[in-house]
Amino acid sequence: MINQSNSNQTQSASGVANVRFGVYSQPTPVAGKSVKEVREQFGKLWGIPTDAIAYKGKDKLDENYIIQPNDNLEFHRRAGEKG
Amino acid sequence: MTETNTPRRFVLVGAGGIGTWLADGLSRLLEWKFPGSALILVDGDNYEPKNMERQNFSKMGNKASVKALELTQVFNKTLFIPIPKWVVDDSFNGVTDEDSPKIKASELLMEDDVVFAVVDNFAARKILFDAASKIDNIDVFTGGNDDGLFGSVYHYQRRNGVNITDHPVETHPEYQSPPDKNPGELSCQERAEIDGGTQLLATNMAVAALILGRVHKTIVNKQNPEESEIYFDLGLGKSEPYNRMTHQTTTVNN
Repeated sequence: MINQSNSNQTQSASGVANVRFGVYSQPTPVAGKSVKEVREQFGKLWGIPTDAIAYKGKDKLDENYIIQPNDNLEFHRRAGEKG
Repeated sequence: MTETNTPRRFVLVGAGGIGTWLADGLSRLLEWKFPGSALILVDGDNYEPKNMERQNFSKMGNKASVKALELTQVFNKTLFIPIPKWVVDDSFNGVTDEDSPKIKASELLMEDDVVFAVVDNFAARKILFDAASKIDNIDVFTGGNDDGLFGSVYHYQRRNGVNITDHPVETHPEYQSPPDKNPGELSCQERAEIDGGTQLLATNMAVAALILGRVHKTIVNKQNPEESEIYFDLGLGKSEPYNRMTHQTTTVNN
């Protein structure tokens, strides 16, 4: 679990990161924001569950992780189950 | 002259809403791209009239046996082998009898197999992925859908004992602790009570088509499985690929 809540980095968004959830993927200026803030920003719009794990690659991110420029922030979307 | 390849062994587990359509596509692919191959169909369940809205079959009976017979009557360069059994893991110690025959995933899968896990639950998919993770060279494609128009597919690939793409458990907690149960480990009564939900034919067929597309790119054309996972939503008209290759460089797509 990556937990990076350096207060020096909690500035206004100044760089672009990719935010993804299922079919949604959007480069957006969220660098400097926490995972929690990004979840609140996109949660209702994309239907992200409040308990969806945030990943950067295979690393799970803490809610306080500060998004870095060029990060790929992915909120877990459960795979299709039936068939 | 058509270029052909070395015969392959494809193993399709689950001949239902996705599997029946996928079986037809895979049969054509094997017949013309890999003549002399085998398609092994595995399913312990039976076709029933209620399945006809979404599933492609011509008569009632065990799903693997009925579908294998149908395909045998159409394609003569491919061997179709039915295994009318439920897949279970090595630790299974429940009842195995004529009413509920079982096969262990580790006994089903072999080196160089191309496996299609198109069952209707995460638990059985996990059993197949876990068994594949102990084989040096193998491809496992899975796909599923929710009720409605959302679905996804995933390609797990191993070469020379190394993961080329990640085991899906790396980014999918549902494969760590499946929220459902493997029907192969349930009683007949419990299986009969499973609700198939309100799945749609279009979504089942879309999952099958996406898997077939991935097979064409990565098995027929032998290209990298960069689009290892694909989510789609037919209602939104959107699909999105995710790179799950073990070694990759991540960049923002502008």
